[in-house]
Amino acid sequence: MTKISKASETESVQSSRRDFFRKSAAFSVSAMAAASVMAPVKIDAKELKGDPAILEEQPWATKLGYPVTHNLYGQPSPYEHHVTRRNTKLLSSGNYYASIAMCPIQDLEGIITPNGLFFSRCHGGVAEIDPNEHRLMIHGLVEKPIVLTMDELKRYPSVSRIHFIECPANGGPEWRGPQFPALQFAKGMMSCAEWTGVYVKDIIKDLGLKPNARWMLAEGGDSSHMGRTVPIDKVLDDAMIVWAQNGEALRPEQGYPIRLLVPGWEGNLCVKWLARLEFASEPWYAKEETAKYTALKKSGKAIQHFYANEVNSVITSPCPEKPWTHLKKGDIVEIEGLAWSGMGTIEGVDISFDGGKNWVEASLKGLVLPKAWTRFSYIYKYEGKPLLLSSRARDDAGHIQPTVKHERDVMGVESVYHRNGIFTWEVTAKGEVNNVQVLS
Amino acid sequence: MFKSYRNMLLSAVVVAAASTTLFAGSDASRTYANGKKVIDGGSTYPVKKGMTSLYHVNEKAHKTSFKLGRSATKDEINAWNIDVMPDGTGLPEGHGTVEEGDALYDEKCSSCHADFGTGGAGYPALQKGNAYEGQKSLTNQRVDGNDEGPIRVFGTYWPHASTLWWYIKTGMPHPHPMSLTDNEVYALCAYIVSINEIKIDGEELDDDYELNRKKFLKIVMPNKDGFIPKIDGKNGVENARKFFNDFKNYGNGTRCMKNCFKGKPVLARISGTGISDYQPPISEKKELPKKKAGGAAEHPGKKVYDASCAVCHGTDAMGAPMLGDKKAWAPRIKQGMDTLYDHAIHGLNGMPPKGGTSLPDAKIKEVVDYMVSKAK
Repeated sequence: MTKISKASETESVQSSRRDFFRKSAAFSVSAMAAASVMAPVKIDAKELKGDPAILEEQPWATKLGYPVTHNLYGQPSPYEHHVTRRNTKLLSSGNYYASIAMCPIQDLEGIITPNGLFFSRCHGGVAEIDPNEHRLMIHGLVEKPIVLTMDELKRYPSVSRIHFIECPANGGPEWRGPQFPALQFAKGMMSCAEWTGVYVKDIIKDLGLKPNARWMLAEGGDSSHMGRTVPIDKVLDDAMIVWAQNGEALRPEQGYPIRLLVPGWEGNLCVKWLARLEFASEPWYAKEETAKYTALKKSGKAIQHFYANEVNSVITSPCPEKPWTHLKKGDIVEIEGLAWSGMGTIEGVDISFDGGKNWVEASLKGLVLPKAWTRFSYIYKYEGKPLLLSSRARDDAGHIQPTVKHERDVMGVESVYHRNGIFTWEVTAKGEVNNVQVLS
Repeated sequence: MFKSYRNMLLSAVVVAAASTTLFAGSDASRTYANGKKVIDGGSTYPVKKGMTSLYHVNEKAHKTSFKLGRSATKDEINAWNIDVMPDGTGLPEGHGTVEEGDALYDEKCSSCHADFGTGGAGYPALQKGNAYEGQKSLTNQRVDGNDEGPIRVFGTYWPHASTLWWYIKTGMPHPHPMSLTDNEVYALCAYIVSINEIKIDGEELDDDYELNRKKFLKIVMPNKDGFIPKIDGKNGVENARKFFNDFKNYGNGTRCMKNCFKGKPVLARISGTGISDYQPPISEKKELPKKKAGGAAEHPGKKVYDASCAVCHGTDAMGAPMLGDKKAWAPRIKQGMDTLYDHAIHGLNGMPPKGGTSLPDAKIKEVVDYMVSKAK
């Protein structure tokens, strides 16, 4: 009985509200919003003490927002418009069709990069492929060469994995010394996402791979027809063909409709707009395997097929874009950063306040996964003194980030690729942050 | 679990805090199921009890045969099998002379790679003098005031000529790949080999030299032995495995915790303001974007411009007048529209006829109108 009476009470309240609206002659929602009689009550906030953001009514609190029909594909807040990929002429082969757009890693949280901010590298512009007219061909040293449509490919059992992709030239312009007064350009040739696709091994197990198939060529269907050679061991371990990124179809910049994903290895091996896989007994020597993507050592010999991006880390807060200029002596602040290894899982990260002379262990936080970005954190009491902030990561393959000095001793300064020496920020007495290298 | 830094060198004090990282459900391994070391020197994560690392696995899904797709036809494979290998696999028959290549180069390549392949403005150089001499520069290091770096062009650095043929055929000219005939590719290769002063079978390539498949396969690149590990032949993969499992080949740090070097740290700083011409400029301000005025309909020439002309006119790097550069366009506009149309349709200096397209004259004129409108 009580329930019924409550229900009827509610009904009567609702009907009286309806009556009120009828009487007010404002039948439509938009007419209501426009009616001056409905304007918010004005308070003279100057009389009150406190934050105007609290004391004064804000327009978004007193007017309707946009309807759910406004953005059928959601967009970031317009206040976040500065969070974008960025480019510079220096990193372009003459034009922006063979170039790179850097990921704003200074503005990212956690370990997942939003798809619109994922760093983007292409060799012949970003192809916009019609998925209905795209095919994947697998041939060479297999008993049964096949062609797959995109729909057929997606019927294989899917796998979702979180992996970073990093261009091996990330930080490459800084072999001879620091150059970029910004984290986005010093380390922004990388991003991390959850990828969904199929293991290449799940497809080729039915094709009769011949015993002398030692190498696989992966080739794109875009205008650059870029190809790269992958050894069979990686193909049979964790190489994937992916069609989705963070839960939606790949973006064109990431190779829509499909790209190869070679977890942890040079981003360039993760061939976009993938059209062809060929197996052979000898490696190919593709155009990105000679003048580019080889690391020249002091001896004059160059490392070719330099597969994995080695263990690496960088402090993302503070950084030049996010300095400590607002801090006062005695403030408690979180130092945060990213660690990653293409050779395995991050085991730990040490940080130093004196340029690598003395170290303390930082905490890892969040998910710690193989060949994925890993967050590290350290709580620090700011003293307003100059600092040299460094981070040093290590992985479960036994690889530890080398000092800049050690890396130069082994590689020289002309390698271009695979630079993973310890990264250092100078924090000045004012809290400004500069990109420096410790050569001790 | 494999304990990675059990062999680490501690130069002073052993770290007090134990590593707290745990890998629930799965162990990292340095070897594959076949007992061989992981090829890149790293870890692999075999599926154990339905898990790999922290991921659950539907093991049945990966043991099931799906048998999707259909057999590729021979014609389909031939149509797409465009790669060229060092042993000549995929290299078609054909021929072309240095002189033919020179003319083709001036017409289709020099607008980016500059006269004689000297490169510039971001576009790669195709030669830097005699390749045999240049190869010796690969030990150069730009340290201690030495500003002569290693020369890494086709002739001095690349291990195999097959890459050149393959690259030109499938990737060049950059705005119009796959547009050259096999003979044209041979001619361009002949020209590029000649300007690198590379000999074939002991012979220098003069203007009349005609390159063909047989001669092409005799090219021995000066730096053919310049790469490690050796990946060719039966042991290629094993050589790579051995190389990358030896960290000494590319360096490894040590986990020193205290007094890791003597004295104060020696610092290298950015010289001057460094590289900071970022687009868009760095900002951390959370404010509404400035509204752009206008909103007029798109110019009819813009689409063609974006697709076919921007590659050269989008920057001021190539000598082509850049879109919107009023100073560069003013003297050209003075010549009158008819002259501009004529140059665009018939070509001028580095500008190929119709920008290398085969569009009707009317479309080209629309592009000129668009570019002029942007310069006013």
